[in-house]
Amino acid sequence: MSDIKDAIRIVDKGEICLVEWDLPGEKVNKLSSPVMERLRDVVDELAESSYKAAIFVSRKEKIYIAGADIEEIQKLNTKEAYMNAVTQAHEILNTLEDLPMLTVAAINGACLGGGCEFALACDYRLGSDDKSTKIGLPEVQLGIIPGFGGCIRLPKLVGLAASLDIILAGKSVNAKKAKKIGLISEAVPKELLEQRAIDFVTEKIARGGKKPSKTFEAKSMMDGFLNSFMGRSVVFKQARKTVLKQSKGFYPAPIKAIEVVQKTYGSSNRERCVLVEAESFCDVALTDVSGHLVNLFFALEDVKKQTGVKDKNIKAKNVDYMAVLGAGVMGGGIAYQGAAKGVDVRMKDITTDAIAKGLKAARDILGKKLKRRRISKFELANVMNRISGGTDYSGFKHQDVVIEAIVEDMNIKKAVIKETAEHCKADCIIATNTSSLSVNEMAKAHPHPENFVGMHFFNPVDKMPLVEVIRGEHTSDEATATIFALSKKMGKTPVVVKDGPGFLVNRLLLPLLSEALFLLEEGCDIVKVDRFYTHQFGMPMGPFRLMDEVGLDTCIKVLKIFRESLGERIEISKLSEKLSSTDRLGCKNRKGFYLYDERGKQLEVDQSVYAELGLPTPQHKLSSKECVERGMLQMINEASRALYEDRIVETPQEVDVAMIMGTGFPPFRGGLLKYADNLGIEYIIQELEEYSTKLGIRFKPAQSLLQLKSFYK
Amino acid sequence: MGNPRDVVIVDGTRTPFTKAGTSLGEVHPADLGQVALKELLNRTELDVDLIDEVIIGNTGSPSDAVNISRVVALRSGIPLKTSAYTVHRNCASALESISSGYEKIKSGTMDVVIAGGTESMTQMPLLHTQRFQQIFSEFAFAKTMGKRLSALKKLKLKDLKPRISVMEGLTDPFVGVNMGQTAETLAKEFHLTREAQDEFAALSHNKAVAAQKNGNLAAEITPVFLPPNFKKIVEQDVGPRDGQTAEKLAKLKPYFDRKYGSITVGNACPLTDGAAMVLLMSREKAESLGYKPMATIRSYAFAGLEPERMGLGPAYATPIALKRAGLEFKDMGLIELNEAFAAQVMACEIAMASDEFCKTKLGLSGAMGEIDPSILNVNGGAIALGHPVGATGTRLVLTLMKEMQRRETQFGLATLCIGGGQGGAMILEREA
Repeated sequence: MSDIKDAIRIVDKGEICLVEWDLPGEKVNKLSSPVMERLRDVVDELAESSYKAAIFVSRKEKIYIAGADIEEIQKLNTKEAYMNAVTQAHEILNTLEDLPMLTVAAINGACLGGGCEFALACDYRLGSDDKSTKIGLPEVQLGIIPGFGGCIRLPKLVGLAASLDIILAGKSVNAKKAKKIGLISEAVPKELLEQRAIDFVTEKIARGGKKPSKTFEAKSMMDGFLNSFMGRSVVFKQARKTVLKQSKGFYPAPIKAIEVVQKTYGSSNRERCVLVEAESFCDVALTDVSGHLVNLFFALEDVKKQTGVKDKNIKAKNVDYMAVLGAGVMGGGIAYQGAAKGVDVRMKDITTDAIAKGLKAARDILGKKLKRRRISKFELANVMNRISGGTDYSGFKHQDVVIEAIVEDMNIKKAVIKETAEHCKADCIIATNTSSLSVNEMAKAHPHPENFVGMHFFNPVDKMPLVEVIRGEHTSDEATATIFALSKKMGKTPVVVKDGPGFLVNRLLLPLLSEALFLLEEGCDIVKVDRFYTHQFGMPMGPFRLMDEVGLDTCIKVLKIFRESLGERIEISKLSEKLSSTDRLGCKNRKGFYLYDERGKQLEVDQSVYAELGLPTPQHKLSSKECVERGMLQMINEASRALYEDRIVETPQEVDVAMIMGTGFPPFRGGLLKYADNLGIEYIIQELEEYSTKLGIRFKPAQSLLQLKSFYK
Repeated sequence: MGNPRDVVIVDGTRTPFTKAGTSLGEVHPADLGQVALKELLNRTELDVDLIDEVIIGNTGSPSDAVNISRVVALRSGIPLKTSAYTVHRNCASALESISSGYEKIKSGTMDVVIAGGTESMTQMPLLHTQRFQQIFSEFAFAKTMGKRLSALKKLKLKDLKPRISVMEGLTDPFVGVNMGQTAETLAKEFHLTREAQDEFAALSHNKAVAAQKNGNLAAEITPVFLPPNFKKIVEQDVGPRDGQTAEKLAKLKPYFDRKYGSITVGNACPLTDGAAMVLLMSREKAESLGYKPMATIRSYAFAGLEPERMGLGPAYATPIALKRAGLEFKDMGLIELNEAFAAQVMACEIAMASDEFCKTKLGLSGAMGEIDPSILNVNGGAIALGHPVGATGTRLVLTLMKEMQRRETQFGLATLCIGGGQGGAMILEREA
């Protein structure tokens, strides 16, 4: 039976003591309420002791204190509960700050959120220069703000500019950066950290052991100005502007954080400051946005724990070697993503020119990272060295996985899969990166269909976090688990889906794109529709811009496939035929609904598109609500079919994770089905029925939707 | 048949060889080696955990990759645990890598060795003079402005003239003559006319061009994709000239001895960039892994001679290798004799066919024999293909081995002359 007393232990070292954080039975230290109670006792005990200094260390491998217990936060749901939790924490950390002895946080590993705020309440902070050491305040990522004094103590310690940088972006910094901005006093090799902390504090004691003043001192004229009374207003104004630009106003937490810092910076009245922070914390913690972001956090944590199959005894195979068939931009992106995570990648294509394109795609991604100094030239070389290419099957005998990313043509794919299987070892898994073709049909070409599976990446591969793992009828548990694990190894979020037209994400997304063509047909303005979706709903791109990205020819082709396989209810605007007769392909030929420059950057809408499609100058008459709902409601309707009729995925949570990670569906809405539940199923059905009578059967509510009260139980 | 400790060559590959300063000039020699080795690993589908050692020849010793073998190995995905070292025997460095691997496997110490060579003669640096270095360090360590100035004052314009390392490398430090001049010496002593040399050179080009067209060279070459834009892919050797003739070559001026000489840049090999790699194994290991090797190494030899006649090296090394293999010169069905200079190859041919030379210089009972031109450098030689000094030895073995497979030749000889006055030779037997 573990004792909470072991979570924080005082170890006597003569005139100083070590305080060891070591939460029993856990891999990490985190601040749950029992741990906070224990911290209160420890601080009280220190207050009564005669130690001249206390050094706080962690006994966990790569974690100092990971932060507050988010599960616990999630369960609090009243203002009183939040207020109570935050006030308690403030009390404890204030007592810690007021201890007569010197306090030092000797930080090795992740020191985030509440952990960082704990460290800020100490007199000194030393950090190890280990890779695992990260200090920061990620709260805004969960829709909240630092609530244990972080909004007050961090600006006081490192100044306005550096602190807002961390708080507003929810960032963390490594030891080198932390030292530079004054967040820690020294960056020390991990092995020497504890001894250095002891020596450090012993020197301070020898010099009288006076508590330090933690007030930020500007090191440059610029810093001096920015922290001066006049400079501050400039900083806050700029910070607001940046935050609004990035969040489009959908995320209240960073704005709230600016407010708190603005109200408290430079004030010496700690009680008042703490109260301001606590009040604001409760405000944001109670928002739906925060609730959704916290849920999403747990959903993603869930994915990390999952294996992609139900049977827990199934082990994923280790993947050290991976081949990519088809070395285009997609193949190159997949090659990069594998090589960057340590997998040896062999690309195969018909010509060396095609391979060169794949290599270039991978090198371009790395080149950008090098330019932004995210990686060194050595890291770049190491990743590129893992990628090689050839026009024959040499090297295929030792591939663990082959990912097929060739042209979307069933007959060609089948022929290539059959041929590839002949050149691979028997247990090699072949995965298809198809976006629209049937995995089950393709599997027929593989002599061992149990080793065949879908692995659908989204474009651009290095940026889009979702991978749909398509489990065919014959796909084995082991193959599914292996591709699921490989997706995670490649830094992606996998969702297992069943085979079916468009799998999950494209199936749900296509009605939205298709509806945009109807809107256009009815005289809507391209820019306006796109802006409704981005600026009012929060999608990263509007439907027209997205069609350009996917490729107009691809969109229309997939629409037709859908109509064939899903039937009459897939209605297609007559504009699609006209569109196919133009030379507009979207981004790939820099001509779609929008125009693009040579480097692929989006320019304005191509006004000639209306005339070319036989449309008059748009007289936009529809409301933003109608434009958005006509798309969204169809998506929801389709989701209920995919989920309950075709069982493409098992849970609404999977739909939401997939839509957020695969399409950038606004996270603050919690995902498509959370959004649906918020609208109310009854309302959705009613609207769908109205649209259905007015506009066509594509809106007809699905049988499964009619039987539903809400997606989430 | 065969002894379990026979040393076999499983397969090999190389980058294209390109004239210094052309297509591969910007590629670091470690990256050239990486391309060849990575491709070899893919072609042989070898489990990299089985590799006991990586031995790579290189003469330029780039200062940012001094043990270039280790750099190439790690960049190719060979595990950290696997040791790697670089060998240097001048022009035979990449034959030395194979012979070193041979010894390790033959002795039973190891079973799987990567051997090869890589060289960028483009990237051999310009050096500062010793005097410049002294002044520079005086300047750098000076504590006062005055001392710095006085250091600077010593600097004369001529101190800034760089030393060209590739030229210094091609000059014999014992007798002080350039490699080209050693070829001039042989041309004169063996009465080799300019015309005959140009004929030989033109033939080398013609054979190489034919081998490009019929795919013989492509079979041993792996393309190099040029970063960062990958717009250019180097898939072929750049040296061979279609339609090269002795008449065209006759227009060039002698390069080393402008007045009385006959050696031109046209009948000598060019400075070249490139890399080549082979996979060596013990016969028992290869068999247990299911490989079908291409050749067995029957023997090798290195021998020394006068540095100023280094071009005759093959004549000195070959009889020793033959003796070690228990074979006769006439058993050799195919010969790769490196073409450092047309004159040097022709001098070797004469020497090997000469009773007197073989008796007096080599201590043999008589001439080794004439070389049938139809078995010599049948896919062209270094005059056309180029001679990246640290990689050529492996290239000769690779080309020989692949051609022996095509022609079903039982025994073949790869031999070359070595700057500093040595010769190297290796005898292969085809694996059926």
